[in-house]
Amino acid sequence: MEPLSSFFAVSIILLAVGLFGMTTKRSAIRILFSVELVYNAANLNIIAFSRLRNPPLITGQIIVLFSISLAAMEAAVGLAIIILAFRLNSDIDLRKLNKLKG
Amino acid sequence: MTDPAFLVIAAATVIGAILAIEARDLVYGAAALGITFLGVAGLFILLDATYVAAFQIAVYIGAVVVLILFTVMLVGPVKGEAPIEHRRTSLMTAILVSLMLGIGGSLVSSNAFPGVDACGASCDLQLLSQTLLLGSGSNGGYAIQLELLSFVLVAAVIGALTLAKTERKA
Amino acid sequence: MVDLPPDPISMTIQIMTSPLFLKIAIFPGLASIGIIAALLTWLDRKITARVQLRIGPQYVSPLGGILQSFADLIKLAFKELIIPEKADRFFFLLAPIFGMVLGAGLIGLIPFSPETLISNLEVGLPVFLAFVTLSPTLVLLAGWSANSKYPFIGGLRSLFQQTGYEIPLWLSSIGVVMMAGSFNLSKIVQAQSTGYVLFGVHWWFIVPQILGAIIFLVTSVAEQERIPFDLPEAEPEIIMGWQAEYPGFLFLAAQGAGFIKLYAFSALFTTIYLGGYLGPGPLPPLFWSIFKTTVMVVVVILLRGAFGRVRLDQLLRYGWTLLLGLAIANIAITYFLIEGIPAI
Repeated sequence: MEPLSSFFAVSIILLAVGLFGMTTKRSAIRILFSVELVYNAANLNIIAFSRLRNPPLITGQIIVLFSISLAAMEAAVGLAIIILAFRLNSDIDLRKLNKLKG
Repeated sequence: MTDPAFLVIAAATVIGAILAIEARDLVYGAAALGITFLGVAGLFILLDATYVAAFQIAVYIGAVVVLILFTVMLVGPVKGEAPIEHRRTSLMTAILVSLMLGIGGSLVSSNAFPGVDACGASCDLQLLSQTLLLGSGSNGGYAIQLELLSFVLVAAVIGALTLAKTERKA
Repeated sequence: MVDLPPDPISMTIQIMTSPLFLKIAIFPGLASIGIIAALLTWLDRKITARVQLRIGPQYVSPLGGILQSFADLIKLAFKELIIPEKADRFFFLLAPIFGMVLGAGLIGLIPFSPETLISNLEVGLPVFLAFVTLSPTLVLLAGWSANSKYPFIGGLRSLFQQTGYEIPLWLSSIGVVMMAGSFNLSKIVQAQSTGYVLFGVHWWFIVPQILGAIIFLVTSVAEQERIPFDLPEAEPEIIMGWQAEYPGFLFLAAQGAGFIKLYAFSALFTTIYLGGYLGPGPLPPLFWSIFKTTVMVVVVILLRGAFGRVRLDQLLRYGWTLLLGLAIANIAITYFLIEGIPAI
């Protein structure tokens, strides 16, 4: 069994990649990709910590089940917003969508 | 790090994540995101969370990736990503990301979590492979939380449908 | 891991003769999946032909044309691969092969007998169904990548159909899990002989779960895109749907993936509803599981000759309202069967 720090390292790398994508990219869908990466990093972290303590708990897995469902719902609503924004503005470049009007 | 399965799956996850945000074509990015989700599911299986891995594959790859592909096909090809204009922001972000990776790297040594006893072969795996959420052992039941989750799901579905529907011209 | 001798040749020999490797490679693994996919192609054509008062494949061998699909395999292997110019090559080539890999992976989870099972996961049933949910993504990518209207329309129709029918599939199998008390497929088979009791007899789960079994059968036929749910492949209208642009060997892979899924779903149906490898007396358990799987395959093939095609709006409406409601009703009925009527 791998030590906890290896799983933590993977989780931090995913978080870093997600954060970089979120702050640097201009297309709204790429930002959604980055948000999903951050969700996955957090889930991986929770499961690793719950498994690798002694004695292990199943609570971490239950938390992650809820987290996966909520992340999927959030992705659905986010994509609906993106479709609506595209329909109104014909463009999903987030640097141009900075007016609240319309 | 002597487990080859862990190395392969972790490498696939990280490479998929990097490709997901850097691929020029959004469809390739969505497929790379799917590979990342598969990699994370593989890491869950390595951590004896097989039910959560099945759930992750079914929900993330089965639903979220499909939604993303749908939206990408509807929104259409972006007119080419222009080069990065705000260099200062991306430079600061890159420094922040490197700091995070550095901290993460320094924690990779196993002395970093002194209070946590890494669970060896003496772990009770039966406890972990139980998947009954309602009233299993010392956890109590999670029935009420699941019902609330279903309400949140209904709210999300109604919200998404309302946002994305088109006005029908009578 | 086991001790392997350091010499690479004897290590290879030891791995190749180990029982797990033989199971993965020969039975119920890769070689037998290939042969079974070919035989199922022939069986499908023959039974459909007889139902339609034709003869079907008859020339390739004296035994009713049973080697027809091997002849087709050899023919298609030599055909030129014509890929559309603007097609996205990576996904175009990848999707049928991934479909076959997926189908083959599904079969590894099924217990064909207490000895010949490849993996005995504690959560075998959700893992099986989770891999089933991967196929709509693959079909959407395949349909999009051909860069042509008919495959794309076929891919979208297939996506709607398969996604809509996944939820009744999962819900109808939850009834079995409630009765068996476990997600483990071997334990579900065991529970049909030693577990749940109704009126003093250990029934196979198809009897107390008759509603769930019918829903499972209907939704699994919809997942495999067989007639009567073959709208994504509607042959006269959109010319095989998402498979329209696939040449030669890739076409064979796409068809083969469909038949491997047929085999996998029939095997799952016999495992969770028909008692898997349980069967009376002198015949070995392996024979019973293969026999029951074959019976289910023939039932699904006969459905092809008996029904017309379901329209898209009917399909979506019945999948999301009628089947979903019936599956939830099945869960309620199962609860009362387990707890007894006074539990209200």
